[in-house]
Amino acid sequence: MKVFLSLLALPALLLPVACFLYIIVQAFPALDWELIVGSSASSGAAGNLFGDAANAGHGLWSQISGSLLMMLLACLLAAPIALSIALFHALWASPRQQRMLITLLQVLQGIPPIVYGLCGLVLLIHLLHWGISLAAGGVILAVVILPLLSSNAIHALQRIPIEQTESAKALGLSVGAMITRVWFPVAWSGMLTGLLLAMARALSETAPILFTATVFSGVLWPDSIFSPVTSLQTHIFYLAQEGSNAHVIDVAWASAAVLLGLVICFSLSARLLRRYEESS
Amino acid sequence: MNINTNTHIKEEKGVESCALPSYVRLENISLTLSEKSILKDVSFSLPATGISSLIGPSGAGKSSLLRCLTNLYDNWQGTISVAGINTRSWHGGDDALRRHVGLIAQKPAVFPASIYDNVIFGLSRKERKQNQSSRVERCLTQAALWDEVQDRLHDPANTLSVGQQQRLCLARALALEPKVLLLDEPTASLDPRSKQLIEASLHDLAKDMPILCVTHDLEQAQRLQGQVIFMCDGKVIEIAAANDFFEHPERLETREFLRWSVCDCD
Ligand SMILES: Nc1ncnc2c1ncn2[C@@H]1O[C@H](COP(=O)(O)OP(=O)(O)OP(=O)(O)O)[C@@H](O)[C@H]1O
Ligand SMILES: [Mg+2]
Repeated sequence: MKVFLSLLALPALLLPVACFLYIIVQAFPALDWELIVGSSASSGAAGNLFGDAANAGHGLWSQISGSLLMMLLACLLAAPIALSIALFHALWASPRQQRMLITLLQVLQGIPPIVYGLCGLVLLIHLLHWGISLAAGGVILAVVILPLLSSNAIHALQRIPIEQTESAKALGLSVGAMITRVWFPVAWSGMLTGLLLAMARALSETAPILFTATVFSGVLWPDSIFSPVTSLQTHIFYLAQEGSNAHVIDVAWASAAVLLGLVICFSLSARLLRRYEESS
Repeated sequence: MNINTNTHIKEEKGVESCALPSYVRLENISLTLSEKSILKDVSFSLPATGISSLIGPSGAGKSSLLRCLTNLYDNWQGTISVAGINTRSWHGGDDALRRHVGLIAQKPAVFPASIYDNVIFGLSRKERKQNQSSRVERCLTQAALWDEVQDRLHDPANTLSVGQQQRLCLARALALEPKVLLLDEPTASLDPRSKQLIEASLHDLAKDMPILCVTHDLEQAQRLQGQVIFMCDGKVIEIAAANDFFEHPERLETREFLRWSVCDCD
């Protein structure tokens, strides 16, 4: 029985490892340091291939920075809102409102991200004329990660022992003092874990920024938050569409490996933090 | 403790205090939580000095009553007045009330900070900036903890044992110099020696403030003297001075409880 169940579970363990190895192997031909930090012509061939002068002569650095920039913007926008939602949930919401809020967050988490992208396209780009831009991408990603971030923050606050809260109140601490001096020191690691997971999510989200924030090439560093960016996720998509050229596909695999590396970085730090939290 | 401030308040309310020898007064307190009646028409008062023991079986509503006294539960009905002032309309709100009426919870909860910082946790930012060593020493001594922690004041407080944490919570409340002290089983996880020290401290403190002490230890209630309030199933069954209570209990329920530790008050 045990053997049988283990056999069933085996694919679940082996598949990710196999995927990971496969990506690394595929990425290997194009993956070198130059490509990542590159300002030189390591991926120049790919650029030339499209006859796009602007794309020639740089590696994946602009894509990496674009992805990270958008992720940061999304987190900067979403984190304070998620925190407010969590505090509202903990301090002022009636049990009924709490239930409604949780349900709402679950529903929002279930909406496919591309729908958010579409809404963003209509609202931000067509209605507000932001153009295809970093700002639009950041806002849309913020909306995508907001439910996740909020429910993580809510759970982090819920894990605070009730005795801590009551003792803080019994000492005559005001609500503000209780939040900053008791709740945050107790719950910060849980909240940071949630933030790191949300960062990983924002990095891997592709669909909603595909037609709202990114272009294939021609951007090294966005001039302002209202100019378009390039990102790793969408770069892979664009490259994969040009399936005929072997080198382009290699670069796509290399981008995938870099993206995977970044996402794993954030997820692993989240894991480590959770481990730390559970041990203390 | 700070006798000056205490008498100051008595002077302020001079006329009333003379008319009412009680400092804390509860009238017809009822409490309902999740549609369950927890407290039913509880009335009693605490004299301006001395220890009162609150006893009763588990689930009688003792902890809930203490929470009502400091508005940690705020959906109770009835009137509670401290120093003649209704706690609902306390000057400065609930936070000020809670600094005036210190509550030490049943389950100790230390904050993620050093022992020293835990003792001064409730003080204002300005006071915390100043050197509070003497206050910390005095409060820890009153809580019978000073000897054990004096040379590791800056260690994290959660390295202390449960009994030590419980005493730290007492010290933390004393640091605010409250005028009333509510204790929820302060000696539940203590050894006889610490228990003795705490009781001595309480007798000392009770010389100029009212103390209400919840306890399951009937011998302790006897040792604390003062009045004994016996609660069962959310109701006050009997109130009497300790000696009378234990030697000539008036109510049948009380006699049953003292003899067999059971209470059937429906
Ligand atoms: N938040 C709550 N919602 C519903 N019922 C509650 C709540 N808190 C406490 N109770 C109930 O109130 C009753 C009294 O609880 P309380 O903690 O005041 O008892 P206690 O006298 O302090 O008991 P113990 O001696 O075990 O500490 C219990 O029956 C408990 O189940
Ligand atoms: Mg209790």
